[in-house]
Amino acid sequence: MGLPTRFALYVLVCLLSLALDARYSALAWLRGGLNAALHPMQRVISAPWEWSQDVAGFFVTHGELKSENDQLREERDRMRIGQQDRQTLLAENNNLRQLLALPARPDTAPRVAEIVQTVPSPFARKVIINRGQAHGLAAGWPVVDAAGLVGQVTRSYPLTSEVTLLTDRDQGAPVQNLRNGLRLIVSGTGSDRLLEVRFLDMHADIKEGDLLYTSGIDGTYPAGIPVAQVVKTEPPRNTPFARAYCRPLGGVGRYRHVAILKPLEQAPAPNP
Amino acid sequence: MIPRPSAMNGARPLLPQGAELAAPPSRAKVAASLFAALCLTMLPWADGLRWLLPDLTLMVLLYWCIHAPRLAGLGIAFVLGMVTDVTHGLLLGLDALAYCGAAFVALSLQKRLEGFDTPRQTLQLAPLLLGKEALVLILGLAFGRGEVDWRYLAAGLMAALLWWPLAMLLDHVSGRPALPDHTVME
Repeated sequence: MGLPTRFALYVLVCLLSLALDARYSALAWLRGGLNAALHPMQRVISAPWEWSQDVAGFFVTHGELKSENDQLREERDRMRIGQQDRQTLLAENNNLRQLLALPARPDTAPRVAEIVQTVPSPFARKVIINRGQAHGLAAGWPVVDAAGLVGQVTRSYPLTSEVTLLTDRDQGAPVQNLRNGLRLIVSGTGSDRLLEVRFLDMHADIKEGDLLYTSGIDGTYPAGIPVAQVVKTEPPRNTPFARAYCRPLGGVGRYRHVAILKPLEQAPAPNP
Repeated sequence: MIPRPSAMNGARPLLPQGAELAAPPSRAKVAASLFAALCLTMLPWADGLRWLLPDLTLMVLLYWCIHAPRLAGLGIAFVLGMVTDVTHGLLLGLDALAYCGAAFVALSLQKRLEGFDTPRQTLQLAPLLLGKEALVLILGLAFGRGEVDWRYLAAGLMAALLWWPLAMLLDHVSGRPALPDHTVME
């Protein structure tokens, strides 16, 4: 076969696989298999890098350790006080729920994972974490950190999972305005520091500084996780809708460790 | 006046001679260098530098397409592209298509590219290296993957800048002698 014929064949195969992957997600098995085969290699390659970082972290001065220790002690004391408060509140809440004959809050015990890799692509706001199907994770599970919502697991491989961050353009979360209980949907913009509320009613009561928390009505995200703070609202110009811009509260794209929550019920797998 | 053969552009014997004839690049060397390039791109590079990171795999692949077209062809380009796609976790087939396209252009122009010395090759390959980055961005845009970060085009420029040192390194590794000096051709 001549070179042009072979080239045409390869182009055909590539375009076919592009279309199958983009429109029908039909190649998940191939991707999963290749990923499982490549994962050990990637770990080996990045191991020296991680060791060198560990070694660099070893040489911190005594003073830094001392001051950090003091800070942590102080923080621990503060948290202990908060914890006592929380215990009483939980007990009270349980009592009240029983009084109202509401179902108990479902188990949302978090699993902690480490971000091992960011996806080197100009489009995706995604990271790879070191927990996968072997640890019981599945696509659709919410990912949070200490400060707020971070994203959602969109693909789970045998040993790793892919998390689409809240700031990805295709990602959204149902939220409630803490001030007045207004329900909204926050979507990513593709930028790391900005979220937006599209299609906002022009008379909606939303102001700069409002805090948005997950509402829990989608069956995926548990209620009450901090999501974003409104930084700017924009009146409708060319469209009939207003728009609000928000700053994500969780450390989207900043930290190394995240927690994965079990969703409220088995939510349908999202489109990656 | 008839020009002397030594004055011709890129004067070079049509058949390999001397050391090159004795030690053509082996399959093992091609595979090892491609594997090394793949590993380098897989290193956990800092996020802020990703857009400057040249596609080393493609550069090594192009080098072998030019200097050992029998050992590196479209098939290897396709496999490397698929592996890159899986590590990127984006669209399966995006990089494979770009790699196949680049390899096809390099193979079609192989005779011409082989005759040039490295600096002139750089000028010829720069559009190819830049075009591959542009193709990936445009295909991603076509398949609706959100906003495009056009800074990633800089990776193509970096690749063109790094072509000379990389070609020198690979020349050294493969034991390929530098182009014969024009004055020796008398």
